[in-house]
Amino acid sequence: MKEFKEARENYESIPIPEELGQRVRAGIRQGRKNRRSRYVRRTLGTAAACFAVVFGALNLSPAVAAAAADVPVLGGLFQVLTVRDFTDADSDRTVEVEQPAVTGSDYADAVSARIREKVDEKIAEGEQIIADYKEAYFATGGTEEDWAKHDNKVTVTYDIKSQTDTTVSFVVSSAVSIASAYQEQTYYNLDLAAGRELTLQDLLGADWVKICNDAIRAQMAAEEPTVYFDESAGGFATVDETTSFYINESGNPVVVFPPYTVAIGAMGSVEFEIV
Amino acid sequence: MSHIRESTLTAYLVEDQARFYRLAYSYLHNREEALDAVQTAVCKALEKQDGLRDAGAIRTWFTRILVNACMDQLRQRKRVTLVPPEALDAGSYEDPLPEDGSLARRVDALPPEVATIVKLRFYEDLSLKEISQIVDCPLSTVKTRLYTGLKKLRIAVEGGV
Repeated sequence: MKEFKEARENYESIPIPEELGQRVRAGIRQGRKNRRSRYVRRTLGTAAACFAVVFGALNLSPAVAAAAADVPVLGGLFQVLTVRDFTDADSDRTVEVEQPAVTGSDYADAVSARIREKVDEKIAEGEQIIADYKEAYFATGGTEEDWAKHDNKVTVTYDIKSQTDTTVSFVVSSAVSIASAYQEQTYYNLDLAAGRELTLQDLLGADWVKICNDAIRAQMAAEEPTVYFDESAGGFATVDETTSFYINESGNPVVVFPPYTVAIGAMGSVEFEIV
Repeated sequence: MSHIRESTLTAYLVEDQARFYRLAYSYLHNREEALDAVQTAVCKALEKQDGLRDAGAIRTWFTRILVNACMDQLRQRKRVTLVPPEALDAGSYEDPLPEDGSLARRVDALPPEVATIVKLRFYEDLSLKEISQIVDCPLSTVKTRLYTGLKKLRIAVEGGV
């Protein structure tokens, strides 16, 4: 143990920089502010170049993100912000939520209300799944000790896929850690200036069904060996109004099929960019 | 289910800051990066304070945030182009490094998930149970990793840990 004593002394003699106290206080200030404002992380309606720089920086650290929130040039007409960001843990489960909202118009507020409802519903559903699982676990002879090793989680997060001055495309994802089958994605493609949801027809024109179907079939055919189900076996037939999609950074729609719907489960969700 | 008061949290963060810095430095071996990691972790702690329910668990709770911040930094480093040595500020060189072959060096050479456990156990005097909460692994895994680590360091620890 003598060697450890030396190693520890070595460790304890690491010099403490003078500015440490200042950095800790800065961290406290920033954290406090972020918590209060549920921080404005991503903002719509500014020049693309400016956005690219700031967005890059925002991803680096929460500290930088907080600083950027004060930069006035970011104040656009519409904003996407995190309105609820919390982790709630007890001995049975952890609930992690990062809930977005859109602001800037009545329409944006209405969409935000819908998102809120959806998020609440997903949290309640996830908690119920875990409660049922716990009951079944003990009913089949599981012990308290083994149960304690489970790290059950309900998560709801979002991801912005693309945005312009007036439109935004983002996905809200929810999951329950017990099984991948509980994963769910809801896509939002909004034209905030017009106050409505964008459709594939808006993006591709009257021929949108044919354009999508041709593009998807061509991409499926290019995959070798095929991982897609045959149409006769319940695989891909056609896109319709209920098909999920988002808009990528290049402005192209990307059609998304949930796991197991058109391809083997190992593929997870499958996406096709329609160029 | 009452939350701990923010003042309790900030008092703890200010009081124990030297410990946080040392732990971060032992991961990153770079003054600026260690300061960044501490600041990021403190910021995160204030943001996520609602997740802390028990004032007694404050140390394990915050250590977990700090270790994660250090690990993130290490991961990020792999994606960043290295700066030529002459462009580094002198501060990076002023910091002492343990001499070659010393135990401290060998601890750092361990895989990060093993080194974390050795450091928390022997430098920070945390119990194995607390460590298992910090690294979010079952107690048995922590024990296995600790013994693997000690074996690699060729150290016999009298009387168990």
